Amino acid sequence: MTAGKIKKINRGEALRYMGYGGNKPDEKISQLIDECEKMLLEVIRPRFIYKIFDISVGTDRVYVDGCTLVLEGKDITAHLNGCTKCALFAATLSFDADMVIRRLEAEDMTKAVITDFLASAAVEQVCDGVDEIVKEQMTGYFQTWRFSPGYGDLPIAVQKDFLAALDAPKRIGLNVTEDNILTPRKSVTAVIGLSENEISKGRRGCAICSVRDVCQYRKRGEHCGS
Amino acid sequence: MDLKQLMKKDFIILDGAMGTMLQAKGMKMGETPEALNIEKADWLIDIHRQYVEAGADIIYANTFGANRYKLAKCGYSVERTVKAAISNARKACEGTDVLVALDIGPIGQMLEPTGTLTFEEAYDIFKELVLAGSGADVMVFETMTDLYELKAAVLAARENSSLPIMCTMTFEENMRTFTGCDISSMCLTLEGLGVDALGVNCSLGPKELYPVVEQICRWTTLPVIVKPNAGLPDPVTDLYDCTPEEFSAYAEKLVPLGVKFIGGCCGTNPEYIVRLKEMLKDKKYVQRKVNISAACCSSSNTVVIDQPRIIGERINPTGKKRFKEALLTGDIDYILGQAVEQLQAGADILDVNVGLPSIDEKAVMVRTVKALQGVCSAPLQIDSTIPEVLEAALRVYSGKPIVNSVNGEEKSLSTVLPLVKKYGAAVVGLTLDENGIPKTCEERFAIAKRILDRAIEYGIRKEDVYIDCLTLTASAEQENVMETVKAVERVKNELGLKTVLGVSNISFGLPNRELVNRSFLMMCLSKGLDLPIMNPNMESMTGTVRAYKLLTNIDRNSADFIACYAGSGDIAVKKTEKKKDMDLASAIENGLKKEGAELTAKLLESEDPMTVVNEMLVPALDKAGEEFEKGKIFLPQLIQTAGTAQACFEVIKQKILSSGQKSVSKGKIILATVKGDIHDIGKNIVKVLLENYGYDVIDLGKDVDYQTVVDCAIENDVHLVGLSALMTTTLVSMENTVKLLRENNVDCKIMVGGAVVTPEYARQIGADYYSKDAKQSVDIAKEVFGN
Repeated sequence: MTAGKIKKINRGEALRYMGYGGNKPDEKISQLIDECEKMLLEVIRPRFIYKIFDISVGTDRVYVDGCTLVLEGKDITAHLNGCTKCALFAATLSFDADMVIRRLEAEDMTKAVITDFLASAAVEQVCDGVDEIVKEQMTGYFQTWRFSPGYGDLPIAVQKDFLAALDAPKRIGLNVTEDNILTPRKSVTAVIGLSENEISKGRRGCAICSVRDVCQYRKRGEHCGS
Repeated sequence: MDLKQLMKKDFIILDGAMGTMLQAKGMKMGETPEALNIEKADWLIDIHRQYVEAGADIIYANTFGANRYKLAKCGYSVERTVKAAISNARKACEGTDVLVALDIGPIGQMLEPTGTLTFEEAYDIFKELVLAGSGADVMVFETMTDLYELKAAVLAARENSSLPIMCTMTFEENMRTFTGCDISSMCLTLEGLGVDALGVNCSLGPKELYPVVEQICRWTTLPVIVKPNAGLPDPVTDLYDCTPEEFSAYAEKLVPLGVKFIGGCCGTNPEYIVRLKEMLKDKKYVQRKVNISAACCSSSNTVVIDQPRIIGERINPTGKKRFKEALLTGDIDYILGQAVEQLQAGADILDVNVGLPSIDEKAVMVRTVKALQGVCSAPLQIDSTIPEVLEAALRVYSGKPIVNSVNGEEKSLSTVLPLVKKYGAAVVGLTLDENGIPKTCEERFAIAKRILDRAIEYGIRKEDVYIDCLTLTASAEQENVMETVKAVERVKNELGLKTVLGVSNISFGLPNRELVNRSFLMMCLSKGLDLPIMNPNMESMTGTVRAYKLLTNIDRNSADFIACYAGSGDIAVKKTEKKKDMDLASAIENGLKKEGAELTAKLLESEDPMTVVNEMLVPALDKAGEEFEKGKIFLPQLIQTAGTAQACFEVIKQKILSSGQKSVSKGKIILATVKGDIHDIGKNIVKVLLENYGYDVIDLGKDVDYQTVVDCAIENDVHLVGLSALMTTTLVSMENTVKLLRENNVDCKIMVGGAVVTPEYARQIGADYYSKDAKQSVDIAKEVFGN
């Protein structure tokens, strides 16, 4: 499925990834960011796919009905506690984002780095869009935040099955390497829990994050999610 | 019955979906469908039989994902699975003439450089499948999105089987596949590789595929295959929106386009095939008359030679010390930079020559071609005098390249032309032979004719032969200049071939070479030169081609010309103003590359290179580094500063190389993104910074084998190795690399870094340093090398 075209990349988010925090880039860098944003938006073809499944939450794993996928770990179990359904989704900025970043690395490293961060922000926007679509479709359900393979103790090795459950390689051209890295690179897979009862507003916490010890945001007292 | 006999029918009906039918029988999403060949043979026989009864002429065995990567989960071997699948299909067609196809889909992993699977590994995976499926009647590669992967598949098929080959790719509404492959590039490449039929499957419904099929029918002389989905899927229910009646009604509209094979993909079932058969009952195959123009392509960009196209000549070490050094040190980024620069200047095609006596030309050529096609979509011209080098490059090139070159000598004709034919390339024919370059137009014309005749004997299309009538230098053989020009005209008009010519040689040994070059270029263009091989970075040369296109009404409404030059005068004025009163430090600080390079060149007239490095470049970088640490400037600015310093450093390098001095290296450092990891932008930032401080960086790239790091460190006597990892899953590769370096007693310090690496982890795996960012890696290098 092709997403509605992104018209503007969330500049604040991209700047935060670049390490600006609350600071503003100078005029020259701002111009470069504008230029890179324009070019990136011209080449990418964001795509996503999602599917709603019934789930059964066990003690340390979650079974996804109708497919072979099992989500293992106490964190995902806790996350989906109380949910009867979930939305699995996958989103990608497309192969073109990888290609343009590679080309820029040969052309101008500054642009390459800026574009890389912009692409990271853009794929998050695609995910936000999916969140909204699920919300519209699943009226009467409360949604958890997005939980991705590799987060907490949900093994990243689940990626292959995750993609297979969505037929993502065929439908949106999203694959995974033997080391469980998504390709194209600017891609996300995640599960959103759906509950008929209100969900305690658990914020996307650092406690279970696998990179908490090295997280640059955390060091600065910031946070990666909104 | 075989495919050849079957082709006598007006239409060949293919089967419908397999996955859809298996799901209806109870297969879960995510299950390995190919395992069912063994576990549920009766399901498969039943489904196949339904398609046979519905009227399919060819049924696809259930082998779409029967490759070793996808089968790993279920534990069955490729051979067992494929044989079981073919046997099920055979049982279903007992007593009929229906053919069984070995069906092969994508491997399920992306090839490098986006993924980590190499072309050679992909070839192996396909080879295993092809060998296991020798019992089929025909091979089908379908649902392909990456032309590169498909090329590996077709080569594996051709080299390990004699079965006919059918290929279909999956296109989106924008007429491209997920990886950007366009229709003309698919058709040119696959027809060149000698497949038997090609087309489209999956993707969209028969209605939406109309423009795709229309294009395919225009770009190939081969029989065309269409296997659409049952319309478009509903995002919620996953059901397809086209009924069998609608499906066949839309498919009917594809018939006049000249389609030969029709079937169904996702969402279809035997009912759809029944309707198709009914619809085709009284129809006649529409024979297409297609003339495929002279063209070459990458996987995403076709360049039709219907007007002058510029072949960039800069990827060539001849007479370029800096380029030679890049080849010797394996500095692929330098070569990529040359490519990007030429494309921005206006090159349409890039010549690639990496011939240098002291290097392994074959290995370097393969590496270069792979790297180039990862960053640019312009078609490549593979340039080597060694047939093995040509072949190695032709194998891994994703598209239809040009081979440079063959000549009139029998030895050359009989070694190069078979390669051109096998890999479906175009070829440059040089009008020389064992007697050298003939003086007269007539003699060169005769050689051109000989080359053409031999090419046709080998089955190469006339449109794929481009003749180079050879430029001689005006200073040495002034009286023969016009012989070249005349030969271009005759070859073009009398043989009807495209012409190619390296133009820059004309002025060798003369003053004001540019003037001579562009005048000669204009003369040749006006006599019919199609493919000037030249330096596109010379504005006067590229401008001449643009002006020619304007004056000959090729550039309609002067659109390209105006887009290029309108307002260019003003820019020049602005730039000169800016440059006044600027010193090197402020140029670097402000990220002004061009100015920085110019100022450096000026400084080098009076200063020693090392002085410029140590007293100008390094302090400017130090200042930026400090400000970065203090949070006064941020990553993009730091890199911008480094990038500008790099442009200055490049000037210094050139100067040193041309004066024959030893390089300014402060020490050699290996950088690598570890095995399995493909996120290398962080490593590349570190590289830029280290290089600017005068270190020689041997960049091993990403997804680097442990052993490669060890071998490289030993071979090059390197005392500092930097390893980067960005994923928790690849941290173990970092540990293994460190371990192997230690086990081999490599005398080096190791620094590690990357998003998921911590100082504790660095210590734990036995690294000497943890580097938190690019700036710190410079501090570490200074400490290690004591400078």
